[in-house]
Amino acid sequence: MTGPQKILVVDDEPQLTRVLRTGLKSRGYDVRAAADGLAGFEAFNDWHPDLVITDLAMPNVDGLELCRRLRAVSQVPIIVLSAKGEEKTKIEALDLGADDFVTKPFGIDELLARVRASLRRANAPGTSETTKTVLESGDFHVDLESREITVRGNQIHLTPKEFDLLVYFIKHAGKVLTHRTLLAALWGGNYVEQNEYLRVFVGNLRKKIEAEPTTPRYILTEPWIGYRFDPGEA
Amino acid sequence: MRRSVLDQRWAGYVAAALSVLALTLVLKIVGDHLNAATVSLALLLNVLFIATRWGSLPALLASILAMLCFNFFFLPPFATFNIAATDNWISLLAFLLTAVTAGQLSARAKKRAEEAELGKREIERLYAELRDAFERASHAEALRQSEKLKSALLDAVTHDLRTPLTSIKASITTLLDEVRGRVNGEPPALDAESKVEMMEVIDEESDRLNRFISGLIELARIEAGELQLRRHWGAVDEIISAALARAEPITREHRIEVNIEKGLPGVRVDERAVSEVVYTLIDNAAKYSPKGSTIRITAQRAGEQRIQMAVEDNGEGIAIDLRERVFDKFFRATRDGDISKPPPGTGMGLAIAKGIVEAHEGRIWIESGTGGKGTRVVFTLPIGDRNAFEEREYSVSHIERT
Repeated sequence: MTGPQKILVVDDEPQLTRVLRTGLKSRGYDVRAAADGLAGFEAFNDWHPDLVITDLAMPNVDGLELCRRLRAVSQVPIIVLSAKGEEKTKIEALDLGADDFVTKPFGIDELLARVRASLRRANAPGTSETTKTVLESGDFHVDLESREITVRGNQIHLTPKEFDLLVYFIKHAGKVLTHRTLLAALWGGNYVEQNEYLRVFVGNLRKKIEAEPTTPRYILTEPWIGYRFDPGEA
Repeated sequence: MRRSVLDQRWAGYVAAALSVLALTLVLKIVGDHLNAATVSLALLLNVLFIATRWGSLPALLASILAMLCFNFFFLPPFATFNIAATDNWISLLAFLLTAVTAGQLSARAKKRAEEAELGKREIERLYAELRDAFERASHAEALRQSEKLKSALLDAVTHDLRTPLTSIKASITTLLDEVRGRVNGEPPALDAESKVEMMEVIDEESDRLNRFISGLIELARIEAGELQLRRHWGAVDEIISAALARAEPITREHRIEVNIEKGLPGVRVDERAVSEVVYTLIDNAAKYSPKGSTIRITAQRAGEQRIQMAVEDNGEGIAIDLRERVFDKFFRATRDGDISKPPPGTGMGLAIAKGIVEAHEGRIWIESGTGGKGTRVVFTLPIGDRNAFEEREYSVSHIERT
């Protein structure tokens, strides 16, 4: 990798962009700021940042529209800044392809942690390669051809749907996956409202992969939103 | 119900029979010298009465009975149902026909009147029902609207409280990280300039929070009618000077023109509050007009009893349909042209200004600036009664506080 990683901050609140610019720069990132979605999209096209942090409520082109436009042209990691009371918009942004969210007000540590995780995920080699037959991620080893899975070295037996769900989780490790996204990916568009389906499968999967299914460390619940998969440190 | 209708029907027949018999008796007692025409008219009247009171069937009974009595008692030969003269046959027949026809007609008229009455009552009932339903619906709608408004206001307030808080939290945690890192022997990540910048943000955003909260309190006071006005005789130029001095930091990049009419009388107002209004208008003018442009402040008489003040800028102006709404609390007009910044301010300034002006029994409104460009906010204030006792106008409302 050459040079510092580039982060585009899109927020209509000048004081916040001022703080984020300084805070992120102090951690070695190259930072640019834009005041709304339109300026943000233009800056993205000019500058090709490695990550975009965007507010949701902005004049003119808002955060949702920005997510939509960015996803139409790029897989750049997107972190949305949202406030309590904006849950619906936040979920919509995640459904549109945002990777993660931070709830306002937030400490800079939290944001930095999300930034690091998103950048790491984006730079991880080969997660999107379809030709690969073996997935290695944290505590997980998956052979896609023989459909065999080991967790912490122990082989586990999954039903075909559980297997698909776990593979989807592993492929999108670290990313917040909404109920809707997961349901659409595994069961198709007709099932996107059937959250209880998902709850049952996640419950079963946890029993098989987690050491303590009641306090899961791999499949983490994001209340009201969905799940986030943490493969653990290998 | 049914029973009483039946009773009424029988009462009609009984009344018909009795009235005819009684009338015949009276006519007989009054004397035989009455001619047949008088008797028949009296009996006819009785039939009409029965018809209007009890309807067609009792009237028919009355007609037949009356005909029989007429024949028996008043047409020769008396005391028989025989009739001697042919013309008396004709009178009797004419009497019967007239009685029956008149009886039926008046009974029908009565029925129509009753039906009309019933119809009228039904319409009134339906109208009342409709009105109730409408009132219920509009009440529910008003409630829904007010709930919607409340939640919109709550959203606006939480957004305005959270925005500065977010900047403060992000700044302070950035600084905290630096301090913690230094304790752990990590190299400094922030240079001195960045640290100052973070602290500036904290300072400015704390002030912003405080301004917002003060505004909320003032607005709440105005809405509760608790705005305490301390009215004294004051000079308009002093009020404007105080506002200008306060606005100096925000108007450095604008030209200020002040024009106060010569010989303007003193006004009996709460000087601090009115100065706040002028400050708010200058603040808005500075925010919404380009740097280097002129802000004009004028004060003049408006008739015998009032003075009028105005603050005018050369900005984009406010669309006519928004000129009322900008006085609503938390309403902020987005500026045309400059999309790089959100509308500044708390959305409370003009609402508070309006509250203060109206508490003084004045009026505030917005018009286009000179030559149709920019914005001119105008307000009037009553000059005040020279003879009024200071105490009498002490406050808008006296709320007992414990």
